[in-house]
Amino acid sequence: MINDDNKDLKGYEACSGCGVCLLPCPVWRRTQSMTFSRKGRAKAMQWGTPVEELAPYIDSCLLCGACEPVCPEDISLLGINIRQRRLLNLSRMKQPAWYPNELGTTYDYSPEIMSAKTLLLAGRPIKQHADICNAMIRLLGGSGSATVATDDGADISDALEAGLFVQSERILQFVAGLAKADTLVAAEGLMHRPLKKWLPEKKIMGLGEALLANSSIRLSIRPEDLYIIESRGYHSDHERLVVFYDKLRRETGCSTNLDLQRMAIPTGASSLQGRHDLESAGCLMQARWILHGRKPKRIIVEDFADIEVFRLVTDTPVIHLSMFGIEDDI
Amino acid sequence: MIFPEIEPGDIPPDPVAPDSLLGVTRLQTNPSLWLGGRWKEFVAELRSSGVTVHEGLADRSAFVSDAGGLAHGMPHGTVRPSSASDVSKVLKAAQRFRVPVTTRGGGLTTEGESVAFGGLMLDMTSMNRVLEIDPVAMTVRTEAGIFWHMLAEVLRRDGFDYLSAPLNLTASVGGTLGVGGIDINSPRLGCSADQAVSLQVVTPTGGIVRCSETENQELMERVLFGYGQFGVITEATLKIRRFTPIIMQYYYYSSLRTAIEDMQLINREDAADYSGILTMMDRAINLLVAFDSDERATEFKRRWAGKLRGHGEFAFGLRLAGYYLLRPWKFREAVYIVGRRLTLFPEFQRSEFMRGGKIVDRTVVFSRAVWKFWGGRKMVIPDIAAKEEKFVEAVERGNAVCRKYFRYYTLYCVGIKLKWRLPRYEMSCIPSDAEGMGYGCEFEPMLRDTEFSRDYLQSFKNEIYDIGVDMGLSYYRFGGMMKGYIRRVFGDELVDRHLAMKKKADPAMILNPDVIF
Repeated sequence: MINDDNKDLKGYEACSGCGVCLLPCPVWRRTQSMTFSRKGRAKAMQWGTPVEELAPYIDSCLLCGACEPVCPEDISLLGINIRQRRLLNLSRMKQPAWYPNELGTTYDYSPEIMSAKTLLLAGRPIKQHADICNAMIRLLGGSGSATVATDDGADISDALEAGLFVQSERILQFVAGLAKADTLVAAEGLMHRPLKKWLPEKKIMGLGEALLANSSIRLSIRPEDLYIIESRGYHSDHERLVVFYDKLRRETGCSTNLDLQRMAIPTGASSLQGRHDLESAGCLMQARWILHGRKPKRIIVEDFADIEVFRLVTDTPVIHLSMFGIEDDI
Repeated sequence: MIFPEIEPGDIPPDPVAPDSLLGVTRLQTNPSLWLGGRWKEFVAELRSSGVTVHEGLADRSAFVSDAGGLAHGMPHGTVRPSSASDVSKVLKAAQRFRVPVTTRGGGLTTEGESVAFGGLMLDMTSMNRVLEIDPVAMTVRTEAGIFWHMLAEVLRRDGFDYLSAPLNLTASVGGTLGVGGIDINSPRLGCSADQAVSLQVVTPTGGIVRCSETENQELMERVLFGYGQFGVITEATLKIRRFTPIIMQYYYYSSLRTAIEDMQLINREDAADYSGILTMMDRAINLLVAFDSDERATEFKRRWAGKLRGHGEFAFGLRLAGYYLLRPWKFREAVYIVGRRLTLFPEFQRSEFMRGGKIVDRTVVFSRAVWKFWGGRKMVIPDIAAKEEKFVEAVERGNAVCRKYFRYYTLYCVGIKLKWRLPRYEMSCIPSDAEGMGYGCEFEPMLRDTEFSRDYLQSFKNEIYDIGVDMGLSYYRFGGMMKGYIRRVFGDELVDRHLAMKKKADPAMILNPDVIF
C-alpha cells in the first residue's frame, strides 16, 4: 500500500471545529450539509461514528484539497479522506458508480526510461490531443529537452483517488521511467504530492507553473482575462504557489479563481466524480459561482477538463493555457 | 481511604484532582438533558409537512460540541431548513409536542449555547443565499445562516463589504446579530447587530414576521442581542459600504493601563477607523490602529501619534530585553514572547494579503491568526464589558486572575460605540451604565499544550465573572454554562421581566432552552 498523505500533519482528533475548512469546500456548497464538511465528519469521528456511516460523505469529496491549507490545526484532511476510502473499500460490497472501472488494472504505459530533462505527465485528456501535446512540448523548451511521458501514472492517480490498492511493483516501474528527468510537469495535481515523496530530488510542478515560465504566455494574459488555477496541485503546495500566482495577478492584472482565503475555487471536473457526471458532482454549479459577478473576456484554464465545464455555463471564450502555443493570436 | 477533615466554609484540596476545587464555589450551570418525550410524533408531523429530519448518528454527532469544546450534547435529530417556512413548521410542531429546538450557525459559542442537549438541532447554515444587493440604499439582504465570510465573498465581487463583523470567518450573520458582534471597527461603527436595517424573524410559535426600527419594532429590539430567545432570524438586511484595504499601525506598551487609556483617547477623538488591544500576558501589549484611507492615516500621524505613549517595535523590543535581562528567572516567559512574536507577526503581513502596504481581507488575516494561534479543541474565553470609567480597573483585576491561573494568556480589548440607549441593549453585553461607548475585554488562556480540569477552568471563569458582579459590569458570554451569573449581574427584576416576555413569546419554552433562562 502506498502512502500519499503527509505524515507530518495531524489526524481528525485534532479538529477544533473552527469550520474554516467548509468555506472553500465545493461539496459543502452543493449539499449545504455540515455532515458533508470536513468539520462535521471530524466531529462525528471524534464522537465515535463508524466510518461506514460516513461513507456517502467520504465518497462525495472531490479531493480538490482546498480544505487542507486553511486548516489551522494542520490536519491531513486529504490523507484522512483517502485512508477512509481505503477502509471503506475493504468492507463494502459495491463501489460508487464513479470508481475506475477495472480495479487495480493498469493502463497503457511503457516501461521505457525516458531521457528528456523535462517530462510532461500529460494525463489522459491531454494525451488524446497530439496538437496540444506538441504545443506544450514547444512551450516547455522543444523536443530537445522535453517530451511527453509515455507512462504518466494516470492509473495510479485514479487508484489513489479512489483509495484502491496499487502494487508497489507498479509504482517502482512508473518511478523508474522518470529517473533521468530533472523536471516533472504533472497535469494531474493529485500526483504532485506522491511524486515529491517518491522522487524528492526532482522538481515537480503543475502545468500552469511550467507554462507560465514562458514569458510569451505571461505577456499574452490580459487584465480582462479570468485565469483558472488547477486546484489540486495548487493546494498541495499552497505556501509557495500562492506567492507565485499573486505575482501573476500583479504582473498581468488578470483575475483568478482564488477566493478571499486565497484558495482556488475548484470546478472538480478532473475528479473521478466529475469525469463521471459533471452536473451531479457540482462542477457546473462551481463554475457558475466562479463566474458570479464577473464578466471576463476570456477564461484561461490550466486543467483541460475545465474547458468543457466553462463552455457549458458561459459563452465567454474558454482556452487552455497550452493554446497560446498553438495559435498566435487567441 | 482516609478523607481529609473539612472545616465548615472551607474548600479543601481535592484528593483526586488537586486543582479541581480551587477558587470560589462552582457556578457552572449544567443544562438538563431532554429525554425524548413525543419525539416520534414530532418527527412524523414534520415529515408529513415536507420537512426532512436527519436522525443518523453522523448527522447528529457533527453538532456534539461548540467552539469551546467543554459542553457536549447530542440532539435527537437535525433539520437543515431551506426557508422561513421550514423554520416555522419546526417551531409550530415543537410548541405542540414540547420539543426543545436549538438553533445553530457557526457554532462558535464557548459555553454550550449552541449545543443541543437532546431535542432538535436547527442547522441554520443551510440558509445562506445572498438575496439582493442594493447599491443605492447600500444594503444587502441575505439569508441569516450565511457565514460572514461567504457574504464577504459575494459582496466583494461587486466591490462592496459589510460594515462590521466578528473577526472570525465562520460566524453566521444570524448568530452574530443575536449576540451583538464586535469588530475592531466597533469603536466607530458599533456592534454588528446595530448594522441591521430590517429582519425576517420566525417567532417561537412559528409566525413569520418582518421587523425593523419602524415595523414591529418591539420584536426587532428583542431579537437583536436576544441570544436566540425571541425568534429565529431567517433573513437580515444589513448596511454595506465600498470595500477598502486598510492601513495598520502598531504601538507597543508594557502597561495595560497606559495602553487602554491611549485606546480610549483614540476612540473618544475618533482618531482611527479601527482600534483594539491584543496582548501577550501583561508584558507585551499591542495597541493596533488602522485606517480606511491614506488621508485618515496621515491625519492620525499629524494630530494623535505624538500623544500616544506606546513605542515602536524596535524600541519596545530593547526595553523588553532590558526587563528580562534583569529578571533571568523569567527566562521562559521571554522565550515565549519572542517565539510568539516570530510566528504570529508574519501572519499579519503575508504578501498575498497585502497590496501596497495595506491589508486586504482583514477578516481573513485576523481569523487565520485567531484560529492558528488561539484556537484549539478547548477554548475558555471569559470576558467583561464595562463603561469607559470602569474599564481599566476591570481589566487590571481580570489580568491578575489570569496571572494567578495561567502562565500564558492573551487579553483582547475593544471599544463598542453605542447607538444611544436602545431597548435591545437591556440584558445584553452592553453595560447598563455605559453611555456613548462601552468596552469589552476577553481573557483567553493559552491551553494548547497543557491539560486543565474542567473545574480549574470553571474556577478561572468564575473569578473573572465575579469581577463583573462586584463592579456592576456585563459580559459578552453570559449564557449557557455561565447562566448562573445572569441573575447575579442583571438582578431579579430585570431577569424576571425578560422571563415573562419569553414565556409570552414561547409558551412551551422550547426555543434555545437553557441558554438564558
